[in-house]
Amino acid sequence: MKRDLKDKHLTQPSLRRRGIFLIFSISLLIFLLEEKESYAQTLAHPSGAGATVTTGADCDCFIQGIVQDDATKQPIVGAVVFIKELNKGVSTDAKGFYRIANICQGKYTIIGRIVGYEEKNYTISLQHGTEQNIKLSETELHLANIDIKAQKIENLTQTKNSLENAALDQTRGQSLGEALKQISGVTTLQTGSSISKPVIHGMHSNRVLILNNGVRQEGQQWGSEHAPEIDPFVAKKITVLKGAAGVRYGSDAIAGVIMLEPEALPDSTTIGGEINSVYFTNGNQTANAGILEGGVRKLGKTLQIPYSVGYRIQGTYKRGGDISTPNYRLSNTGIQEINYSLSVDYKRKNWISEVFFSHFNTKIAVFSGSHIGNVSDLIEAIKRGTPLPIYTPEKFTYAIDRPYQDVQHNLLKVKNTLKNRFGILSLTLGRQYDFRKEVDILRGDRNLTQLFKLTTYSGEWLFEHKPILKLLTGSIGVNSLYQENLTTGMLTEPHSSTVLIPNFKNFTNGLFFIERIVRHNWEIESGFRYDTRQLNVYRIPRGGQSVVNNTQNNRNFTGTLGANYRPNARWNFMTNASSAWRAASVNELYSDGVHHGAASFERGNENLVPEVALNLSFTVNYVSKNFQAELHLYNNYINNFIFLSPTGRPALTIRGAFPEFIYTQTDSRFRGFDLTGIVQIVKNLSLNSKISYLEAQDLSNSQPLIQIPANRWENTLRYDWKRTSVSITNLFVTKQKRVPSKIIFSEIPSSEIIFTQYGGDFAPPPAAYSLWSASASQQFAITAKQSLNISLTINNLLNTSYRDYLNRFRYFADEIGRNIAFRAKYSF
Amino acid sequence: MRTKRNQRQIALFSLLLNATLFTVSCKDEEVAVEEENELITTVKLNFTSGGITQSFNYSDPDGDGGKAPTIDAISLKPNTTYTLTIEVLDESKMPVGNITDEIKKESDEHLFVYTPTPNSLLTYVYGDKDANNFGIGITGSTKTYTAGTGKLKVQLRHQPPINGKASKDGTPTPGSDDINIDFNVTVQ
Repeated sequence: MKRDLKDKHLTQPSLRRRGIFLIFSISLLIFLLEEKESYAQTLAHPSGAGATVTTGADCDCFIQGIVQDDATKQPIVGAVVFIKELNKGVSTDAKGFYRIANICQGKYTIIGRIVGYEEKNYTISLQHGTEQNIKLSETELHLANIDIKAQKIENLTQTKNSLENAALDQTRGQSLGEALKQISGVTTLQTGSSISKPVIHGMHSNRVLILNNGVRQEGQQWGSEHAPEIDPFVAKKITVLKGAAGVRYGSDAIAGVIMLEPEALPDSTTIGGEINSVYFTNGNQTANAGILEGGVRKLGKTLQIPYSVGYRIQGTYKRGGDISTPNYRLSNTGIQEINYSLSVDYKRKNWISEVFFSHFNTKIAVFSGSHIGNVSDLIEAIKRGTPLPIYTPEKFTYAIDRPYQDVQHNLLKVKNTLKNRFGILSLTLGRQYDFRKEVDILRGDRNLTQLFKLTTYSGEWLFEHKPILKLLTGSIGVNSLYQENLTTGMLTEPHSSTVLIPNFKNFTNGLFFIERIVRHNWEIESGFRYDTRQLNVYRIPRGGQSVVNNTQNNRNFTGTLGANYRPNARWNFMTNASSAWRAASVNELYSDGVHHGAASFERGNENLVPEVALNLSFTVNYVSKNFQAELHLYNNYINNFIFLSPTGRPALTIRGAFPEFIYTQTDSRFRGFDLTGIVQIVKNLSLNSKISYLEAQDLSNSQPLIQIPANRWENTLRYDWKRTSVSITNLFVTKQKRVPSKIIFSEIPSSEIIFTQYGGDFAPPPAAYSLWSASASQQFAITAKQSLNISLTINNLLNTSYRDYLNRFRYFADEIGRNIAFRAKYSF
Repeated sequence: MRTKRNQRQIALFSLLLNATLFTVSCKDEEVAVEEENELITTVKLNFTSGGITQSFNYSDPDGDGGKAPTIDAISLKPNTTYTLTIEVLDESKMPVGNITDEIKKESDEHLFVYTPTPNSLLTYVYGDKDANNFGIGITGSTKTYTAGTGKLKVQLRHQPPINGKASKDGTPTPGSDDINIDFNVTVQ
């Protein structure tokens, strides 16, 4: 007997994300009957077009099991279970039982699919790790307990890519933005090496919605140097939905949605957990994170209803010092982070209550050499090429000096779910408090400090109805969000006119419904949403004495229509048209002053109208035993796209002239593709190739948009043997050749313009670069429940000097040099 | 039924919990005043010769943005030596904030730089020194030559220590500008 696949989060329903999805745990018992032949022989079979379903001595295995709803313990009738590689599947019978016979030995992906639920993949290996040479008797059964956590489908027709398991482990210790770079189509907007924001298909900040455990993250996300206030260690799975997803997640999800999901809380009394330790040589950065979880289960006696309680405690401590580029160290580039989260749930037959609290606290040093003053400082810095020696010290330190950012974020979430014969009703309430302090260098203790306090309350009612006529499933929901931002004085009584963004309160309401039809190979979904938004701004205009209150009211419809076609288990076609809209944020409306550390004078524009996006996408997915590919094509039209554009002229201040930037809008088009392919070259050796191509065009001015990530091609050659894996990766990033050539503000006389080239940018885009990295990992199974994973990753293996177009420090300094990461993960 | 009652209890409990969540922190918050940003609105150049002082101002009372600053044109006599003092003020506050004193207190990380164009217009000599014997430039002397017109760039370089290591070295290179103004100059 051998446990082939482990599972520690056993079979308990858990409601994790705001309302819409219910997690069923279906426990599948899979019996794998093995033959005597060794595994090697099986793999030697040429798979041809995947037609490996040959009967013979080594093809007598079968898989069988029961699919049941763990919450109700009722068998699921008509669930489809199939083997991806063999394109072979069955439906469960009236007792939820299924059996797939005549399977050869090998590695397979088992897919469980149930109408109206997200499909789930599991890899089953008949290799049995180190025991591949042990002859097994014909009667020996191999029992594996596989949890299929079938999630209610939230979006059938748009592309989702996830980071989980080994792929997520490989990013541990990195920031959310850095981790998400693994997903094709996702890049980062960086401020030095410590602050990075995810960019999806060329768009970022307010256009990328982040759902932290089902609650939309509300921080100061408008700032290009404000990284998401999230600890990735909270999540067991990070999913990126690419494209406009306004209907379900909020009208402003123009570029996409990033979802961080923890694992379902346990319900057994067993205490489990995980310890992660990471050390990075560059910056001597350490990250340690721990999870402890357990539960209480009370079985029903005569008059008592069974219930269970699950809990989890999670914490992270991260500390890093000055980082080094290949040729010099950058002063004041350390980071410190302390985060924790607590969650508890209570489950009863038809009822689930969940409370989640997380606290995120970080202090990030901002490279001292980036405190560029005016145009002349800036030109000097660009001319010099490398920072002054004072900013590139020999001596390493963990100390965090000015300028720095101090950020705290609290999230409290309470969710209740009730199931009845009509469907599932849930209420999710959230409170978030985001505190941000940006301390700049100025005279002595009188800092130039910007303080931002943002408090957000959000609530969502969601009702997911049971399938109507076994055909139509869907949900209807209402969300509300109220927030107050304080940067000076009291909300309605600001004291100062010199704040970066004014005090405001924001109230939004949305009503939506999404319905979907699932028939044989077809799935069609459609949804609508209506939103209203009221923004009240309280500010003292520059030079004014009295408070001015500006109110903005916006309302609009959002829609989505999509289809998914699966002619067979190998092919999957998806197409979707979705809209989204976003009203101008306060910084876009009211900025007026120097943005420190950015060397720019930013002016808002009170007359900006909401931007409206229409996103068209088409995805094709192919899977066979030795080849997997996904092509995602998109075309995103954004009317009145709001962006910060250089004017090329200097704006005069007491500190001299600063390059001026104005928030403006234009009609734009973002189109491109993400192509991913995995080829099994020979046994154990695979090649993974990812290409991201993007063209962003300013249609009104007939020229490319500024600040769009360059195209990239990444290749990974990977060798897996038993529990060992070794890989080498090359990332090639082209030079961004699509940059604007002219200043778009025709009213500015050319005599005032000093940055005439690159559409007002200070310097041309950096050259193309090629980076190598290598990685090795080893798994140790200590006991059935305990395991240890260790890995070594060398990023920027050749210590290449390079600069990236989307790093705001590219004018002054190189990117981070070689960085060796040691990771250990102990699960128990 | 017991089941129903239990369910009702849970519902009640959760409602209470939700109510708590929303009543927590309904107090009025305030951002502390002492965090208020520093602002330089005015820079005064005082040229003194023969007991007569002429003052030329840069003034931007509403700070960055809003209304554009006003800059006086400097008018000096040829072949004359002036004592030049500089005052840095925040006139947006009552009483007026004297930032010159703060610069004096931290003279080891500040440097005024006076740059004429063309070079032949005038020369500047520092009249004060910090603890490390580097010039400060709050007081000094300037000498004009033949009649002509040009510009005088006045900079206050802020050169704070980097991780405890002093960065001021007597040259304008390190640090960043706290002040950077071009005055038009006429020598006649």
